[in-house]
Amino acid sequence: MIDLKNTFRFLLIFSFLIQADTLYEDIDEDELERLEYLADNIRCPKCSYGNISSSNAPISKDLKKEIASLINEGYSDQEIFDLMQYRYGDYILLDTNIEDNKSIFLIPLMILVISILLVTTYTIRKSK
Amino acid sequence: MITRAFLAIFLFLLIGLLGFFAISLQNDDMQPIKTQEGKPLILDRELYTIEGMKVDKESLFSGKIILNVYASYCLPCVIEHPFLMEIADSKNVKIVGLSHKDQIVETKKYLEKYGNPYDFSILDLDGSLSLKLGVIGPPETFLIINGEIVAHRIGVIDIDIWNDRFEKYF
Repeated sequence: MIDLKNTFRFLLIFSFLIQADTLYEDIDEDELERLEYLADNIRCPKCSYGNISSSNAPISKDLKKEIASLINEGYSDQEIFDLMQYRYGDYILLDTNIEDNKSIFLIPLMILVISILLVTTYTIRKSK
Repeated sequence: MITRAFLAIFLFLLIGLLGFFAISLQNDDMQPIKTQEGKPLILDRELYTIEGMKVDKESLFSGKIILNVYASYCLPCVIEHPFLMEIADSKNVKIVGLSHKDQIVETKKYLEKYGNPYDFSILDLDGSLSLKLGVIGPPETFLIINGEIVAHRIGVIDIDIWNDRFEKYF
């Protein structure tokens, strides 16, 4: 019985030495932060939504690895975004450019304005 | 009077919205991911076939080439495989395979089982070559003419898609 306890303690001490290996080669803390920022802002091409840092699809893992190696090669964040956009299209960027999608932002606004106008004219006419 | 106008506008909007949905639902070619059409083919390192032979890269940059990304673990690839065999027989075109993140043994078994339509199969163990080509996942088919990607299908290729997008280059 004591033997078992000691064995357990022994194992416990050694388990502290086993730690997760870093996933990416030659990457320091600043670069890891940049990688996390990039992975949070690039959409997974295979999924219908979600960024690559939240996705477990094989392509997301590969993309993270590639971004890590691009960071190592000295690419800036913007250059990496541009490269990904060139390769997979605008869809890949989570940050939408309002200039390119004016209708998406304007139509709900227009509907809101029209409905406010309609409701106010309706209630004013009715109260008379 | 104003209620009528209100109702009319509401009905008009509702019908418009439903119509828009009905039309967009019938359009089944809604790929949010941009295909690689119109881009040059970039191969920046040495390539090897699954037999271990070096690939003559120059041969990939001249003439018409169909590059098909496949893998033994990929079920849709089995679906499109007979069609590729048909193309290999009927069209005068070089079909090159790209084994996507697959073990060589498994790829060879796959080709033995379903037949081999490819002139040769390029090896891509870690998927980095596919990533540079903009491949999302097998199956994908590229038509490359003189080093330029002119047609790209993400997903299973069949006779309808072939006639729609690939046939005009033959």
